[in-house]
Amino acid sequence: MRNETAPTGVATRVVAAEYFTHGDDGVHLRITECRNCSSRWFPPGAICSRCAGTNLTDVNSGTTGVAYASTVVRVGPPGFPAPYVLSYVDIDGVRVLAHTEGDSALTPDTPVALTLGEVGNEDGTPLVSYVARAISDGVGIQTEGDR
Amino acid sequence: MNNVYIAGAAVHPFGKHKTLSAATLGVSAAAALLADTGVTPDAIQAGFVGSVYGGSLIAQRILQRVGVSGQPVFTVENACASGGSAANLAWQGVAAGVYDCVLVVGVENLSAFGGGTLPLTTADIEIDQGVVMPATYAMRAQRYLHETGATVADLTNVAVKNRSNGALNPRAHLRKAVTAEEVEASRPVADPFNLFHCCPNSDGAAAVLLCSEAFAKQLGRPTARIRASVVRSGQFHTSYRDMTWPDITDRTASAAYEMSGIAPADLDLVELHDAFAIAEFLHAEALGLTERGKAYRAVADGEFAIGGRVAVSPSGGLLSRGHPVGATGVTQLAEAYWQLIGTAGDIQVPNAQVALTHTTGGGIFGVDNGACSIHILTAED
Repeated sequence: MRNETAPTGVATRVVAAEYFTHGDDGVHLRITECRNCSSRWFPPGAICSRCAGTNLTDVNSGTTGVAYASTVVRVGPPGFPAPYVLSYVDIDGVRVLAHTEGDSALTPDTPVALTLGEVGNEDGTPLVSYVARAISDGVGIQTEGDR
Repeated sequence: MNNVYIAGAAVHPFGKHKTLSAATLGVSAAAALLADTGVTPDAIQAGFVGSVYGGSLIAQRILQRVGVSGQPVFTVENACASGGSAANLAWQGVAAGVYDCVLVVGVENLSAFGGGTLPLTTADIEIDQGVVMPATYAMRAQRYLHETGATVADLTNVAVKNRSNGALNPRAHLRKAVTAEEVEASRPVADPFNLFHCCPNSDGAAAVLLCSEAFAKQLGRPTARIRASVVRSGQFHTSYRDMTWPDITDRTASAAYEMSGIAPADLDLVELHDAFAIAEFLHAEALGLTERGKAYRAVADGEFAIGGRVAVSPSGGLLSRGHPVGATGVTQLAEAYWQLIGTAGDIQVPNAQVALTHTTGGGIFGVDNGACSIHILTAED
C-alpha cells in the first residue's frame, strides 16, 4: 500500500499500488511473463511460479477485459463496508479480483474497463485501487455518481 | 503397503462452545475415543492433530492431557483439509509399518473469532481487495448457474437436503430441518447465497483410531478398512481457470480410485465438503458421482438422498453438521466409520459397504482450493 494525498486534499491509501499504473486511459496491470514457458503472472514477480525460471519480462495490460463471474458481498471483513460488488476479471492472460462499480453482480462475460476507484475505508481513510466498470460499445457506463 | 483400519471414533458434538477452548474440545474427543475403545495411552505410538487456528503445539496440548505424552505427535495445518491431512499422515505411518496404532484428532474453536465470515489471515492480493470465502464460492456458483442452467432453487435443494439429514444427527451443529422458503428468506451473504446456503462457523472436535491388521485383531472391535488415502495441493496459476471444475478434487479422486480399485459407481455414501451449497454440485461432478453439469438434477431427483443412488453427506455435511475447519476431515471419517459398521442410527445408509470422504481447503489466491484430502473406506465382514 502507498499513502497519497489526492487533489481534493483527502488522504487515501492505494491498495496494491506497486502492481499497476494509472493514466488518463485507465488502469494498466503490471504483468510478468516468463520468457522460458510463456506463463503470465499477476501480481508481478521475480520467479516464474511454473518453471522457476528467472528470465522474465514485464508486460503492461490493456485497460479492458471481461468479467468471468461476479457477486455482491453483503457480509464483508473490516475495512470493506458492505454491500460491495466483486468480480473476477480476465484481462490479457491473467485473472484479477477487482471491486466493481454498481450495486448488482455483473452477468458473466460482461466487458469491463479497469479504472481507479474506492474499494474500502480503513478508519476513515479511503482505500483506492483498480476497479472494474461495465462497458458497452467501448464506452464506460456512467454510474449515478458520475452524472 | 500394509492394510490400515479405523477401529474407533469419537466426536465432541459440533456447535457453539464459546467457553471450551480448542484444546479442551480436543481432549474431550480423544478421551472419549480411548474410553470407548479401551486402548490405553501407552499403546498409542503417534498422534496427528489437524487444526487451523488452534495455535502452536495444539497436538501436545491435547494429547498429553490424555496420557499420550512423550510419543511423536504433530500438528497438521492444511486449511479446511487439515483433519483429512492429519489422517493421511497417520495412514502413511501405519501403511508403511512404522506404527501399529495412531491417534488422529481434528479440532477447532471458531467462536473465539466472534461472528461474520471466517477470518483469512494470510495476506494476499485478493484478501487485500476484501475477498471473503463466501464471495469466492458465490462467483463459482454464479458461473455454474450461468453455464448449466441450474437456478438458485437448485442451490436451495442442497441446503434443504443436508439440513434434513443433519436434523437427525446428534453430533450436528444445526439440528433443525429447513424449508426452501426458509432458506430463501434467510439473510443474504454473497449473491446468490443466503445464510442457509453457507455452512456455519462451528466449534468441535473429532478423533479416530487408525491401526494395523494385527492391532485391530487383538483389539477385537468393529473395523472399517481404509482402501485409499490421498492428499493433493492446488495447482497455482494466475491465468484463466474454469471455476466450475475443481480439478484438485478430480486429481485427488482419480488417485484414490486407482489406489483402491473402487469406482464412483461402487460408493454407497460420500461425505462431501459442502462449505457452500454450490460445492456439492462442483465436487459431486469432479468425484464422478454424476455427469458434468448434471449434479443439480441428481439432487433435485433425490439421487443423493439417504436411500437414493448414493447418499451424499448423510451426516448433514458442513451445511448442517457444521464446519470447525480442522475437525471436519476427521469427523467425516468418524461418520463414515459408523455408517460402515452399521451404528449410524437415524442417519444410517441402508447396507452401507463403501464410503468416500472429501475435504478441500481454500483461502489463498491463485488456486480454487489449496489442499484436498480423500479417503475411501469399506466395511469389513
